[in-house]
Amino acid sequence: MGSIQEVCTMITRLPSLALAALILSGCVTSTIDEMVFNEPTNGIGDASVVILGRRHAPDYETEPGFISCVGDHIMARDKSIQVMDELNFINALYPWFEPRTAPLRPEDIHKLVQQEAVADKLAELKTEYMIWIDGSTVRGDSAGSMTCGIGPGGAGCFGFGTWSNDSNYEAIIWDFTDKAEVGRVNTSATGQSYMPALVVPIPIIAPVQGTACDGIGDQLLEFLSSEY
Amino acid sequence: MEGLLSGSTISVNRLLVAALCIAALLLSACGTKEVVVNGNFPEPLMDKLPLRLGVWYGDDFRNHEFFDEAKSRSESEWLVKTGDAQVAMWDTLLPGMFREVMEMRAAPAVGELNPVVDAVLIPHVDELQYAIPAHTSVKVYEIWMRYRYELVTSHGDPIAEWSMTAYGKTPTAFLQSDEEAVNLAAVIALRDAGANFATNFTRVPAVQDWLQEKWARSRRSVP
Repeated sequence: MGSIQEVCTMITRLPSLALAALILSGCVTSTIDEMVFNEPTNGIGDASVVILGRRHAPDYETEPGFISCVGDHIMARDKSIQVMDELNFINALYPWFEPRTAPLRPEDIHKLVQQEAVADKLAELKTEYMIWIDGSTVRGDSAGSMTCGIGPGGAGCFGFGTWSNDSNYEAIIWDFTDKAEVGRVNTSATGQSYMPALVVPIPIIAPVQGTACDGIGDQLLEFLSSEY
Repeated sequence: MEGLLSGSTISVNRLLVAALCIAALLLSACGTKEVVVNGNFPEPLMDKLPLRLGVWYGDDFRNHEFFDEAKSRSESEWLVKTGDAQVAMWDTLLPGMFREVMEMRAAPAVGELNPVVDAVLIPHVDELQYAIPAHTSVKVYEIWMRYRYELVTSHGDPIAEWSMTAYGKTPTAFLQSDEEAVNLAAVIALRDAGANFATNFTRVPAVQDWLQEKWARSRRSVP
């Protein structure tokens, strides 16, 4: 199952703001793929969900800001879903969810809950689903040049710069009760940002990471919420 | 007239102070960046080992700091003091791992008036390496440490000695200063040190042997 979205506009209430937003935001292309099974048809009730970033790779780490963005996206659209704060969860279960010790496969949860203290804490937190997000946003090619100067009459810049950003994230959903993987959502987004400068530099930033956050958040919401 | 004179004196003084402040601000950019590592460390969530453990922090550990080894301490671009944070982390970690933890009054040795314990842990930081964006083209701050642990009796007789590594990194984030980024990397490295120690302590072969012997002895002594 897959869908392609092209986001080039921002919807706002006032036409002037919409025009300004259109001018000041670059284009983003995003792709979302999902594969889920055993969806909770009646929602997750009073159980909670935790979204965690993978940080064991040597060359990148999933940004904590992206994790909180996805959590906020889900909670803002379905108030009945309780998404636990990532840092609070990791601190409450220290040292079992550090980059060195975090479970890499659902089967590893069996070993983890053999410790009575860990099992009790997980039961207390009512964690039903654990969602691991792995990926990052990187800056791609850039081009152009800009010169800025200052003099007695004032200051200003002249030139043009452009760069691309690429986001790639994968969310893996673990069912804590069955200790099994129940879904995967992939999202990739790419966008070109521009910075023309004629006296004043005007940044036209492509919301690449925000688009990836919305994409993955919507798919997770479809899985977790009974309203979507 | 007097009023005018005193007014001009005040304004000259103010100008002098302002000039000195600006000069100090400009010169501070060229000096050593000093970071006193500060962070909150969580208690470990684990079944406690039934041991009464003593801990001894040597002066080198308690006052641990690092700077650019290619330069002297005063010429180094960075001076990072981790001693207080090291002690804070271990003081939080160990009581969560062992039934009872006591700080020794002196280094374990015969004749020292120390509390009676099953064993004394003495941590050392043997090696530390760090990377800042000035060293690499990547905008990431990294800290790597190699710890050496000594487990000795309260008389100082060796039980076990082993090494463990710890690693922490933080990307340069928008609106985050270099000092904040180095502090964060150090805190993450300390958390990693704690996680490594907590999850692997009973897997160290010499510690395993000592624990088995100790528990076998206590089983024999129970009638």
